[in-house]
Amino acid sequence: MSMTMLIILQFMGVLAAYLITALLLPWVLLRRRLGGLRLSARLMACLMAGNFYVINLVFLLQLLHISCRGTLIVGTILPFAAAGLHRYRGRIAFLAERFTGRARSLSEGEMGRKTFLLRTGRVLRRFSSERLKVWLAFHKVDILLISGSLALILYIYGLNTFQVYGYSSSDMVLHNYWINHMGNNNLFVDGIYPFGFHCVMYYLHQVFAFPTYMLLHVFSLVQTLMIHFMLFLFLRSVCRARYTPYIGIFAYAASDIFYQFVYYRYYAALPQEFGMLFLLPAAYFAIAFLQERGITAGLGAKKGELTLPSVYLLLFSISISMTLSAHFYDTMMAGLFCIGIGVGFCFRCLRWRYLKRLLLAGAAGILLAVLPMGIAYATGTPLQGSLHWGMSLISAEESEDSTSEDKAGDRENEKNTGSGTEDAENGMKNAQNTDGAEKGQQISFRERLYRILEKIEECVTDGNVPATGFILGSIGALFLLGILWFLLGRREYGAVLISVGLFGVLLGILQSAAQLGIPQIMEYTRYAVYIGYIIAVSWSLCLDAILYLLFRERRSIEYGALTALVLAGILVAYTGIKTPVRISPYESNEAVLCLTNIIMEERHSMEQGNSGGEGESGSSAGGTWTICSANDERQMLWDYGYHFETITFLQQMEDFDEETLLTIPTDTVYFFVEKVPLLYLDYMNTVIPERAVSAEGAQMPLPKLTGLEAYIGDARWIVMSHMYYWTQEFMRLYPNEMEVYYETENFVCYRIRQNGYSPYNFAIDYGYN
Amino acid sequence: MISRRNFFSITILMAVVLFLCMSLNSLKDYWNDYTVNMYTETAENYPSKVNIYIPNASRETETAGQTEQEGSMGTAYAARSRVVCIGGEDSASMLRTEEWIAYTKRSYERYLSLSRYQASEKGEELPEMLVIDSSCVNWESGNEIGFLEETVEQGIHLVFCGLPDPSVLRNQERVRKLLGIRKVAENKAEVKGLHLRDGFLLGGEVFYLPEETDREKESAAETVFPGGPDFPWLLAGSGTKVYMNGIPADSSVKAENYPMLIWRKSFETAYVFVISEGYMEGAEGLGILSAVSAEIYPYEIYPAVNAQNIILAGYPAFADENADRMEEIYSRSMRQVFQEIIWPAVTSILREYHYKATCMMTPQFDYTDDELPVGEQFEYFLKILHEEAAEVGLSGLCVSQTPVDRKLAEDNAFIEDVLGSYDIVSFYAGSMEDEAISDALDEDILADARTVVKEYGNNAGEDIIGFLSEDVTAQSVLVNGFQYTYRNDFLVRSLETALGYSSMSFDMRNVAFPEDSSSVWDKLANTIASNVEAYGKPFRKFDRTTSAECDARIRNLLALDYADSRTGDKIVLEVSGISEEAWFVLRTHNESIKDMEGGSWKRLEKDAYLLAVREGEVIITLEPADERVYQ
Repeated sequence: MSMTMLIILQFMGVLAAYLITALLLPWVLLRRRLGGLRLSARLMACLMAGNFYVINLVFLLQLLHISCRGTLIVGTILPFAAAGLHRYRGRIAFLAERFTGRARSLSEGEMGRKTFLLRTGRVLRRFSSERLKVWLAFHKVDILLISGSLALILYIYGLNTFQVYGYSSSDMVLHNYWINHMGNNNLFVDGIYPFGFHCVMYYLHQVFAFPTYMLLHVFSLVQTLMIHFMLFLFLRSVCRARYTPYIGIFAYAASDIFYQFVYYRYYAALPQEFGMLFLLPAAYFAIAFLQERGITAGLGAKKGELTLPSVYLLLFSISISMTLSAHFYDTMMAGLFCIGIGVGFCFRCLRWRYLKRLLLAGAAGILLAVLPMGIAYATGTPLQGSLHWGMSLISAEESEDSTSEDKAGDRENEKNTGSGTEDAENGMKNAQNTDGAEKGQQISFRERLYRILEKIEECVTDGNVPATGFILGSIGALFLLGILWFLLGRREYGAVLISVGLFGVLLGILQSAAQLGIPQIMEYTRYAVYIGYIIAVSWSLCLDAILYLLFRERRSIEYGALTALVLAGILVAYTGIKTPVRISPYESNEAVLCLTNIIMEERHSMEQGNSGGEGESGSSAGGTWTICSANDERQMLWDYGYHFETITFLQQMEDFDEETLLTIPTDTVYFFVEKVPLLYLDYMNTVIPERAVSAEGAQMPLPKLTGLEAYIGDARWIVMSHMYYWTQEFMRLYPNEMEVYYETENFVCYRIRQNGYSPYNFAIDYGYN
Repeated sequence: MISRRNFFSITILMAVVLFLCMSLNSLKDYWNDYTVNMYTETAENYPSKVNIYIPNASRETETAGQTEQEGSMGTAYAARSRVVCIGGEDSASMLRTEEWIAYTKRSYERYLSLSRYQASEKGEELPEMLVIDSSCVNWESGNEIGFLEETVEQGIHLVFCGLPDPSVLRNQERVRKLLGIRKVAENKAEVKGLHLRDGFLLGGEVFYLPEETDREKESAAETVFPGGPDFPWLLAGSGTKVYMNGIPADSSVKAENYPMLIWRKSFETAYVFVISEGYMEGAEGLGILSAVSAEIYPYEIYPAVNAQNIILAGYPAFADENADRMEEIYSRSMRQVFQEIIWPAVTSILREYHYKATCMMTPQFDYTDDELPVGEQFEYFLKILHEEAAEVGLSGLCVSQTPVDRKLAEDNAFIEDVLGSYDIVSFYAGSMEDEAISDALDEDILADARTVVKEYGNNAGEDIIGFLSEDVTAQSVLVNGFQYTYRNDFLVRSLETALGYSSMSFDMRNVAFPEDSSSVWDKLANTIASNVEAYGKPFRKFDRTTSAECDARIRNLLALDYADSRTGDKIVLEVSGISEEAWFVLRTHNESIKDMEGGSWKRLEKDAYLLAVREGEVIITLEPADERVYQ
């Protein structure tokens, strides 16, 4: 089987597992309780509930130190059991008898097999032929458009996932490290940090047994799909026309006017992007709450049940909680969106009974997210490095130094994993400081506007002036249309347009914070991700507002929407379609392929060894193993084998003499050597490495560095050159023992099987030590 | 009252049942041709000594210093790799090396010292390996060390039998480097056990870790462990691979600092193997050399006997002897003990482990008493042994001091009296001297004897298998089945590696004339079962044979010649000198057999295969032992 096929299968498995956990199970449990919501809102609500439950279940079990597969499964089943008991109390035996009646009849011979199959077939046929046909007839355009969008997103983002097997972001190793330690009930191993993303990864790893490294790799695509799905659900919930949401989705996924900062991070599974899943639902539930004219009377609310506005508030609270659980930036963005909504819905927010509830729900959400972290902090767990920055920002002690978030994180990362920074566009950070407005300098409004435009051009449209103009124009149009609809009496609809527009404006201002003399609370490149996201919303809403203006409630609005969709498609095609990007990974495809094979083969031989019976003599079935490689596999093979750093390996035999001893006491040792070393540049890039290992590289002294530093830039080339010549020499000495496990033009993996009672001394004179 | 019809039906039914019961036994007896030894075939049908393959060899003698050419039987020599032995004329390790060379059909030269080899070999084609008795090397001489280093640089592999003195190793850095020794930790290693790693000898990894009480016994090291009792504590240096090491009594010592016993130092051009004292002198040396050869080359093919024998010496016996003792222990006569107690237990063990037995009968144990063998008992045992496909041979041993010629004459008279004649193919000689065996083979009863089974005495120059006379082979019993020792275990592993051969004997005199309570059958039966399991379990893939079957295989092995070559993934093996099936062991490194033309194969263990060659040329296709699932 090809590795690509394995990754596709893993992706399908992870997607299915995530949808079952986060969508299907909450749907089964809550569909009646959420009956008053629109389908799109109900789906958002289920996704919020599913993620919220999983994250908090993991937090609870982790804090109690009882988290494992069994407890997680029990915790998952528990709500269903409780709901079932509550609903069917006293009737369980009766229902069980009723539901098993047919099976009993079959087993007792009352019903023949043929009759059973016939009756079951009739039920299935009725379902498939009647309900399915009706459903398909009603949704065929939607199905077509959703399939098209899905195919487009898979094409744009999936190709990289399926063809590049390694991590596409340097800090994924760090997240891998944190998730690995959750397996030992060691939550917040590196200090307190928003762990929502890690909780979901850990849950999927434990319950569905996906290897963490594979999960982290394919979840980027799952996450990206879900981000687009959320965008669709949000637009479907706020738009009047049925098909205008597709315009935003299509333009966002396919348009080439966006610069890489808008979408590069989707190629990696990162907490910030995971948190984006909850941004639009938070906004929607706040909007939905404020759209309710009477907040005490809900649709279909029975005694003891929550009213609809209360449901919205609860879901808003959960969504806010989720954003904070995932990443601080998402909470900030949600907060900004809420400001926009507050202004847009000022006619409601200025009423204390609305504002009070909204503020309380938001505060409750934040409290819910902070609670596990607070408990951990109270029990002595320190804050993770990057949080010190956040705390210092809150206390406003040194706002000018605020760009050091990742620097703090980096130091921790390297200490613990040898890995790199989160995204660490250090050059850019330096640039922003030099560009920044000097303290106390007065800047004119025109100059401010110019700087904002310049930043959007730089980060969102890559200097494409017409595209920038189009984006700003759409935001401006959104404002105008919002005001128009406000004046036309559709205040709620107009408020939504204004809210979204204002959020876009706020994002644009904050992106240029350093240039405007405002404290920069996060890197400006990261704003681009949110700006791109909200622009997609803006475009759909703009067209929706125009179509709504033209067609009002008439049925022909759908035709108009479809026409607009076609026109948008033509426009996107005319301006250029985004080309799928191939990210230069932080681990070669061959290394991941070898790692996957090694894990599978070693586990297989372990099972053979443990199965007992007639064990074959002479076979080293089921033993320990080590990979000696450059850093990244260290976290990937966590549950399976051991890791030895290449740099440590080489440094230990640097001053070789008769007494030098270097052993790795496992049954099998694998050596990963990059014949063409990776360009580990510590940020996402697409540069293809070309420089091969050489004697020239091996002649240079080994870098006196540890951790990731030894594998960045030229250092990696030197280390790999040394390693390559070591393997050549060792192979000359042990031709029968050292075998090539896997080899391509760029990479070679060697395998040595040894005996734990007489391990090889790997220290040799290889000519360059 | 029953009707006539019913009466008639019942009668018919009973008659049929009676007929079936009676006739089955009668037919079984009728078709049981027990009076003819099923393993009898005249020696003319097998290769005899005249057919033996003799390698191209020359040996330097002590007296004249001249080389004497051997192998003038008109054999066409294959151009094969040459082994040079350097050691004294009586050096046990050199004699053992010569035996190994004969089995593996190599050419060899023998020199008495390194300097003589140095002087003689100038301009000669380089040998594949030098097997050197360490005592023949002047380790203090820089000239000889330099020559050895030069030899390694030329690509000749060195095998040192024994070690230089620890003081030499301490002082001579060049020697340490040559032998792959990092450091001499102690002059004598204190070990609690030995460890043999997998992939060297067949049979897999093994730990020889006796109980502490055993080790405390006097001279425990000599009896418990294989090899010499004392060895220096040498630590492995760079480029060294250790095959066997000691496990120190101090458990805090790290694995990389365990004392080495058998190891290899890798140079870019060749290997230097070092085998500690006490391993090369005995038959163990055969297996070690085969393993060494397998380590040197990417693949190694060598002929094997492929025979696993169990010898029941002195079983069955047909006279009621030692009646009082038998009555005391078993409340039965000896005949009843052999028939009712021992035979069921023996058959169950044979069946469980799929062995064939060679029963070396002795009509009597004591030829001085009045108890005579019973002919009916003889016939009874012939029948049941025939049914079990066991071979009936004759034991030359007895408890009385009766001369062997008289014993055999009396046995012959007994057999003639009962059956008229019975061809004896296998003769059990135990520890009899060669001369006595030769005399015995002249007796009438052994006129058809083809093979003699004798005890392995661990004497220098004593072959494990070979020809005793022109038509009679000798095969050695390797271990006493009533006793398990680590030394024996190592010996079995070595011989399985070298020849795929094992022979285990159970001397039933211990049961017929027990010396103490430990010889009571109940205990012995448990011992037999556990020892058969212990010695035989790692080698289940080899064929279980009787002595006569083994004899045929020995003759084939000694007669055959072979040549092999490899192109890509295909190995071509050409076998000549025999027309029968022959067996070879193929050892690889991380490769497995994909296909074989001209024969069949069995996987013995990882990287080791047993080949059954049925045609003159076979082609073996190899493939990587494992392939990646994900590409």
